[in-house]
Amino acid sequence: MNTSFKTAVALTALLGITGIGAGEADAKDYLLTGVKPDKLVLVDPAARKVERVYDIPEAGPGPVTIAPSPDGKVAYVLANRWESISGIDLESGEEVFRADLSGGDERVKAIFGMDVSPDGSRLAVFESPVHLGLGEYEVKPTRISFYDTSAGKGAKRLRSIPAPRQITILMYSKDGTKLYGMGRALYVIDPANGNVITEHKTQAWERENFYPPDVLDVWSQWEQADIFSTPYYTARSDMDLADPAAYWTGVLTLDLESGEFKIKEVENTDIFYFSSVVSPTNPNLVYGVYNNLAKLDVGQGKSLGRADLDHSYYDINISSDGKEVYIGGTMSDIAVYDADTLEKLGQIDMPGGNNMGISTLRVIQR
Amino acid sequence: MKHLKPANAKAEAMVKAVEEGRQDEVRLMQTMVGCTATLDPGWEVDAFGGVAALCQPMEADLYGCSDPCWWPAQVADTLNTYPDWNKDAPSAQRDWRKLQSVFPEDS
Repeated sequence: MNTSFKTAVALTALLGITGIGAGEADAKDYLLTGVKPDKLVLVDPAARKVERVYDIPEAGPGPVTIAPSPDGKVAYVLANRWESISGIDLESGEEVFRADLSGGDERVKAIFGMDVSPDGSRLAVFESPVHLGLGEYEVKPTRISFYDTSAGKGAKRLRSIPAPRQITILMYSKDGTKLYGMGRALYVIDPANGNVITEHKTQAWERENFYPPDVLDVWSQWEQADIFSTPYYTARSDMDLADPAAYWTGVLTLDLESGEFKIKEVENTDIFYFSSVVSPTNPNLVYGVYNNLAKLDVGQGKSLGRADLDHSYYDINISSDGKEVYIGGTMSDIAVYDADTLEKLGQIDMPGGNNMGISTLRVIQR
Repeated sequence: MKHLKPANAKAEAMVKAVEEGRQDEVRLMQTMVGCTATLDPGWEVDAFGGVAALCQPMEADLYGCSDPCWWPAQVADTLNTYPDWNKDAPSAQRDWRKLQSVFPEDS
């Protein structure tokens, strides 16, 4: 359970005792996602309904990564063709933060990776800049830039540190002293200077009898267990590649509190998962989603079952009690599944039937 | 230069830059400039050589892949050159008939 949840529960209890509160006995889960072309959507999953829809100024063609502040009050949304970050106050609905990344002869795209520091003061963003010359574009080194979350509209980058190319997921450690970047390896980065402290190898791993794995992950969804997870795909180099049994699906996990990094094969590859989430009540339980929803045991390395889905879904998250799994992205509904039986429990349709596309699915408590 | 006249927008920009003394060294582009985050084969075939592991239906994947420029050629580049290509079609499964071909424009 994350700190913001505990804080929210404590605050709600305090306000209840003093009679100031709005009457809610406890903080509860809400989902945050984006729909095309410019909407941020707050969902009450227990009630199976959309709670509120926010306009994101100049967001087209659609919201991408969503990073909630630790107190759950502001959602920072990467939008505007990957070139702007808009901070939406979830109470007032106003845009309270805006950073437009490009300027002058430099075009900057932020490619998915974005996180808020645990103290809520900084936004860390993976940036890919290009110099726009008269006759050519010149690709510049990638970097992680930091923004002051209290800078309001027109926020400028405070500073930047060098970062390896091709990072798509950026996460703070729970104590805020490290940044984790998932790219061609899982890099542990010093936010002070950009030094790579440790590199957990994936594509360049040296595992006997295994080919290098494929990893693709662009969805930030680790907040419920404080453990990042992502599926990977590999093949045995000591087997005939014509044999389907040579192909393996595994799950990579990174504990954002302890820094523990693990990889574990879970099943022969006969289907794919685009993304996964770790249960907050059992760190060995991982749910993967794409054309199927699957329950995977990363302790024992086996599948515990799977369900067919109505259509493809990109992203997945889970309730704080670990009992309900939410799947979203792609089209225009968030589906609710029983985390134990993998039976479909419900569906929440997005406003206007608009697509979520590549947008992330986050859980906050309020 | 006085005997040469710029014949297109880029040449005009170059002449202007020369006059203002701010031209960069002219370099040959070493890579194709397009809209792609990677080079995947596209919607045609999955990793098993079939179609069952592709997104289902295809419309579920259209914006998730075209808006982040996953493929360079099949659809318009909404990240850079055609940001409004799907502006009036926020639901791929409902609005797909509104999606049109795009053509280069004079700059």
